[in-house]
Amino acid sequence: MIFKIAWRNIWRSKVRSLVVLTSIALGIWAGLLIIGFSFGMNNERTAAAIGSTLGHSQVHSSSFLEEPTSAAVLGSAAEVQAMEELLQKASFVKGVSTRAIMMGMVSAPKSARGVRMIAVDPESERVNSNLPETIVEGDFFESKTRNSVIIGQKLADKLGLGLRKKVVLTFQDADGNISRASFRITGIYKTLNATWDELNLYIKRSDLAKTIGQDLVHEIMVRYDETENTEEKTAELSAAMPEGATILSWKRNSPELGYADDMMGIMLVLVLGIIMMALLFGIINNMLMAILERRRELGMLMAVGMNKRKLFVMILVETLMLGFVAGPVGILLGDLSTRVMMGIGIDLTSKKEGLSNMGIQSIIYPEIVPEYYLIVAVMVVITALLASLYPAYKALKLNPVQAIRGE
Amino acid sequence: MSKTVIEVRDLFKVYEGAVPVKAVNGVSLKITQGEFTALKGPSGCGKTTLLNMLGGLDYPTSGSILVGGKDITSLGENELIDFRLRNIGFVFQAYNLIPVLSATENVSFIMLLQNRPKEEREERARQLLQSVGLAGKEDKRPGQLSGGQQQRVAVARALASKPQFVLADEPTANLDSESTANLLDIMLKLNKEEGMTFVFATHDDRVINRARRVVAISDGKVVSDHNK
Repeated sequence: MIFKIAWRNIWRSKVRSLVVLTSIALGIWAGLLIIGFSFGMNNERTAAAIGSTLGHSQVHSSSFLEEPTSAAVLGSAAEVQAMEELLQKASFVKGVSTRAIMMGMVSAPKSARGVRMIAVDPESERVNSNLPETIVEGDFFESKTRNSVIIGQKLADKLGLGLRKKVVLTFQDADGNISRASFRITGIYKTLNATWDELNLYIKRSDLAKTIGQDLVHEIMVRYDETENTEEKTAELSAAMPEGATILSWKRNSPELGYADDMMGIMLVLVLGIIMMALLFGIINNMLMAILERRRELGMLMAVGMNKRKLFVMILVETLMLGFVAGPVGILLGDLSTRVMMGIGIDLTSKKEGLSNMGIQSIIYPEIVPEYYLIVAVMVVITALLASLYPAYKALKLNPVQAIRGE
Repeated sequence: MSKTVIEVRDLFKVYEGAVPVKAVNGVSLKITQGEFTALKGPSGCGKTTLLNMLGGLDYPTSGSILVGGKDITSLGENELIDFRLRNIGFVFQAYNLIPVLSATENVSFIMLLQNRPKEEREERARQLLQSVGLAGKEDKRPGQLSGGQQQRVAVARALASKPQFVLADEPTANLDSESTANLLDIMLKLNKEEGMTFVFATHDDRVINRARRVVAISDGKVVSDHNK
């Protein structure tokens, strides 16, 4: 009967209850939308990074991970070949690309800058990365021109360079010898990550080999069938790697992306916490009003012998019921509107510049994250529990004799 | 000789303040099984304070109240709540029914608090409503009943817990003459047939005229005590 009383009491003051129920539902709705939006944004950024450069995992020599020098190669050509074959044996590996990576300098007529030079095999990158799609001017090593280089838009702007201009690249080979060569800009790329664009330029591995007289491989980028379970897949491959070679997932290779992932989780719980805090006070206010209005009744119940525990439970049940009614509505609303948004996307074109610096596209497609439905549900119950405490305390403090008379 | 249900000895209730008020000023009283007693007096004479103390709703400043030989003034707050639940039926001036519950539910709620089984609760609630003349109104909510009918539900509720006695504070103050007569008929019938003890605090002559014992209270003291 406690449940019956609680249920009917909620509907005694319809407008007031509807207001508080609506606010709970809206709070949950907003929370879920923020969650969907954040996950969409983050996954977009991750997908872009994985697609363009990171791959799902990368193999390096252990010494390269300690200090990325030119000498820290993966092994001889035959050893690298063996590793590639080993990786491609796994059913979930869709492709691999080998790269040489060197720190060096790019000199333009007016200025010079330290850069990272990534020497790639164009055929393989076309298949395994979306680098060719990031070209905004020129092309991705289409011509047979020797010594062509592709630089980022940001670097081009900084150095005042354009297509077909010449630059001088300075590298250090595996033996520590310095080499220099003149390269022509045949392409300009632009990814979502402007910082990346400023620091990295691409050349062909074949050109590098001719310039320094050594065909080096520092990195094998591995592409999986899908991003799900990247850590597990990487661990599986890791077990098969020869000594001295280390395979790391994108999250470990690019800690800043990994941090963003972890930080987002914390931030979302914080945002939910703030929403719940606002709801907490709304519910407390509602219940205090309800108790104030029912003083006579509560006084009577205490007078005729309802003990404090039962009275407390009665108010607790009534408060929880608010959460149990509004919670599912809010979750349903959040789910539905996230699904709708998934179809059309949220257009943030006006904020494009800032987002692009963070590596985010300007149209965000939110995602459904079912784990968070549970978290939200639990938080609503906890909020309702907390919200019932003060009103229940006020009810228990009523003096039955005075309450019965409505004093 | 009937058994004593309530025995009050040298009861005082003083409200401290700039000028201390002796609301109950040395009352001694015995109520025996089956009485139909009115504590009468003008507003502020202390009859309601006395009634509240008899019902364990308020503690006296000094003196003792023995119910079934047990001094309830020494009980703690929680023990007193349980004592009220098992021993006393209350009827209030403003009925104080739960508006969201039907007549039957209002009556059986008390039995729920006593943890009685569902079948017993429903059966007894139905019987009690019948005995207060509300057969056919079992499913009505308080808002759908007249004042007199609501007060009869309240009487049924007071009896539901099988109390030792019923305390009624101005139960007829909000009722017209017909409803008052009707309510008193029912209470007298319950008193006669079931031997239920009723104690009223009232200044309503319609109640006082039909009470079998009238205790007049003035300035917190018993000034006369008549059995008719």
